[in-house]
Amino acid sequence: MRVDFEQITDMDYRIKTPILKVENLAISYETRKGDVPAVRDVSFEIRRGETHGIVGESGCGKSTVAFSIVNFLGRNGRIVGGSILFQGQELRGRGEEELRRLRGDQIAMVYQDPMSALNPSLRIGDQLSEVLIVHRNLSKKAAYEKCIDMLKRVYMPDPEAVMLRYPHQLSGGQQQRVVIAMALLNNPALLIMDEPTTALDVTVEAAVLDLIDELRREFDTAIMYISHNLGVIARVSDLVGVMYAGEMVERAAVEEVFLNPLHPYTQGLMRCVPKLGLSKESSYLYPIRGRVPSPAELPPGCIFEPRCDYARPQCQQAHPELREVAPGHFARCHFAEEIAAQKWQPPQDLIPDLAALAARKPEVAEPILRLQQVKTYYEQERKSLASLLGLGQARYVKAVDDVSLEVPRGCTLGVVGESGCGKSTLAKTIVGLEPLTDGRVEFMGFDISVPVSKRDLSLIKELQMVFQNPDSTMNPSFSVGYQIGRPLRRFRGVPRHQVRDEVIRLLEAVKLDASYYDRLPRQLSGGEKQRVGIARAFAARPNLVLCDEPVSSLDVSVQAAVLNLLLEIQQKYGTTMLFIAHDLSVVRFFSDFVAVMYLGKICEIGPAEAIYAPPYHPYTEALLSAVPIPDPSADQKRIRLSGTVPSALHPPSGCRFHTRCPRKIGEICEREIPPCQHVTAEHRIYCHIPLEELRRIEPVVTVK
Amino acid sequence: MLVKDYMTKHPLMGQPTMSVVEAQRFMGENKIRHLPIVGKGKRLLGLVTRQTLLVHPAKLGSLNVWEITRFLSNLTVGDVMVKAKDVISVDKNATIEEAARIMVENKIGCLPVLEDGIVIGIITEIDLLAQLMEMMATRLPGVRVTVRMPNVSGELAKLVSAISAQGWGILACGGVPSPHDPAKWDAVVKIRDAPREAVVAALEKVEGQQIVDVREV
Repeated sequence: MRVDFEQITDMDYRIKTPILKVENLAISYETRKGDVPAVRDVSFEIRRGETHGIVGESGCGKSTVAFSIVNFLGRNGRIVGGSILFQGQELRGRGEEELRRLRGDQIAMVYQDPMSALNPSLRIGDQLSEVLIVHRNLSKKAAYEKCIDMLKRVYMPDPEAVMLRYPHQLSGGQQQRVVIAMALLNNPALLIMDEPTTALDVTVEAAVLDLIDELRREFDTAIMYISHNLGVIARVSDLVGVMYAGEMVERAAVEEVFLNPLHPYTQGLMRCVPKLGLSKESSYLYPIRGRVPSPAELPPGCIFEPRCDYARPQCQQAHPELREVAPGHFARCHFAEEIAAQKWQPPQDLIPDLAALAARKPEVAEPILRLQQVKTYYEQERKSLASLLGLGQARYVKAVDDVSLEVPRGCTLGVVGESGCGKSTLAKTIVGLEPLTDGRVEFMGFDISVPVSKRDLSLIKELQMVFQNPDSTMNPSFSVGYQIGRPLRRFRGVPRHQVRDEVIRLLEAVKLDASYYDRLPRQLSGGEKQRVGIARAFAARPNLVLCDEPVSSLDVSVQAAVLNLLLEIQQKYGTTMLFIAHDLSVVRFFSDFVAVMYLGKICEIGPAEAIYAPPYHPYTEALLSAVPIPDPSADQKRIRLSGTVPSALHPPSGCRFHTRCPRKIGEICEREIPPCQHVTAEHRIYCHIPLEELRRIEPVVTVK
Repeated sequence: MLVKDYMTKHPLMGQPTMSVVEAQRFMGENKIRHLPIVGKGKRLLGLVTRQTLLVHPAKLGSLNVWEITRFLSNLTVGDVMVKAKDVISVDKNATIEEAARIMVENKIGCLPVLEDGIVIGIITEIDLLAQLMEMMATRLPGVRVTVRMPNVSGELAKLVSAISAQGWGILACGGVPSPHDPAKWDAVVKIRDAPREAVVAALEKVEGQQIVDVREV
């Protein structure tokens, strides 16, 4: 075994033996078709108090590496090569019992979904103290006190009450805090976090990321942080490893990876992510063509060669090794130096599209969709005797409350906000899936305040939707072609013998070929399914398409492709779009106008550019400061909202945001509904703070 | 400056079932001199240092060559370690000078830091020496002056005000009783961004104090 030399950094004289050292790790899964090499030749090390980010698209083997460390590979997975040294001791090739003793309570893991890590039938207090009672033989009382301390450390409000609750009585962010607290109770040397914030809202995510960073400093824990989100990785990591198809293709300090990426895949990933802080023109996305190869059918040479813009004959023959290109910067590419020196040009086939995009300008057209004081309330069931007799007062969840807006023809309106703020209800109300409580919705001059079942077929045809989860919106037992063909037959009356040609034309428009016609949804990848969903929505040639988070469940490179595709199709058909998202950076790239919603009300609406620069509504400011930016050099103001969105059943009086507003000016916020202030004719802010003062706020994001 | 901020958290630890040979290899490879031995839940069972790994010659003297090999290979860490009840430990909220005192008085090189009998860290001589180094701002350039002054209160203030009158900053400051004269006190100050000559000129004027040593480091 090789002797490790002491690494003494400038700032710390302590000998830093890595807590975890993974060398040339290879993992295979046994399948009926033979062994599938899921992970090959992965090496990295994590020292005390360091966060090592692992980033890559889904299916790249990130979680497999994590599972191999905790011996959680399942029955058919096994480590076939390399070594895993934890605290100086080899984990590979040891018995089950021995492993448990070695790792003991020194490794903890936090998973993506906090709900699945907590036992729904036990109180939080029992679950937390069990850790200490079992591992440390503490008495119940001592354990209880320690748990309260830990809950305070993770900034849980009212920890005594939380100890008595069941998991379902906590919000997602609070659940994740409990899971993190539980992981830290044993003071582990290594904490593995597998997408811990992916299921959370941006504002909650920002708070949890701050917490992780603070705890790492305090407990000196080594953290292995797995995420597909480049912005999150940039915010938390010291070192980053980029994984692609089971191999580590680049590894370096976080600034190096983000500012000076050497591997074409890393560079491609950077170009796929919309960036906040830059101007809109520079925020075009360049998707990586193709898709991640299946580990069973890897290309013979460089695994990235089929998708690489720089591929040369040598790349097809020789498999590159991970080598140190610059000090401390490793990349797996034959031509890393040359590539780094070159300036990247968009490939030829993308240039015409980009020119078209650049020419895009929101024309001042007449509004196609007009909402006037739209209200959507859900009646709350009550179980009191009075209400049973019909005497009680009905209570309402005010999901959308008094929303007025206009969307000009051919433009895109982005709607953003935290979950539970009424974005989706608004879309459903417009489409007619939810009955309107009050107000008026006008579409192309017609009143469409009636539910979808009472609408005219020609009207339904003009309003189509793209849903968040393509899996649940496609019928698994019908072929792709049939599903796209249905709106053609029903709305456009395309004759039966022409449907197939028309569907193929649509498939080509979403960059899929004719071979997809007879496939079933389960034979498609997530991105392909979403393309089919888009083709289906556009099949009827609608005038308005409502997209409800169409890309949030997709990988970054696929996300970029789908977004570009939507833009392109919009260009072609001149469709108007309503685009709902929780990610402010995506909306900017995509929209002409943006509306920010909070608890059923609009707090700011205006042209996209205006939303991202002062004057801001305080809520917009907070949202912007929470967006993780994939650029470690960007300077972002740190505004964290406390608590969660209040219940829409009892919305706060006055300005609904006053309970969480960091810029609350006084009692007026609690008493009066904020007035509408016009910054320009189109840009409106609903806030009590005078515009002059809002203008003086410094921009949230500054890029050096 | 408390132990909890300067100790090494998550130290490398061993199990009592480890063979002595393995422990020796493990400590050598990882370049550590002290190995806390823990049981379930990181509970401290004992401590192994390089010294405890030395086998007493008298014990080997009575054995023949073959027996020695067997004796050594069967020897586990649990047999040779300093048992937990004899291990001197320190609380995480102790000051580092308190930790230093315990180590000096007992002539030992490391103190495990315990919380309810569970190892949460370890603090060694090296950690304390590193802090001594930090206290003297060793890594930053400046003029290091040793001034001998009467052992009465108010003298250090005179020195500091003479420095601040020149607008210089103090990087580090420390003091010890004068080695040969109990009535005197030696103060060491490290001054930032000041030329050596100017420092000497300014401090010479301080009444009742004399410069013992000046160097640019």
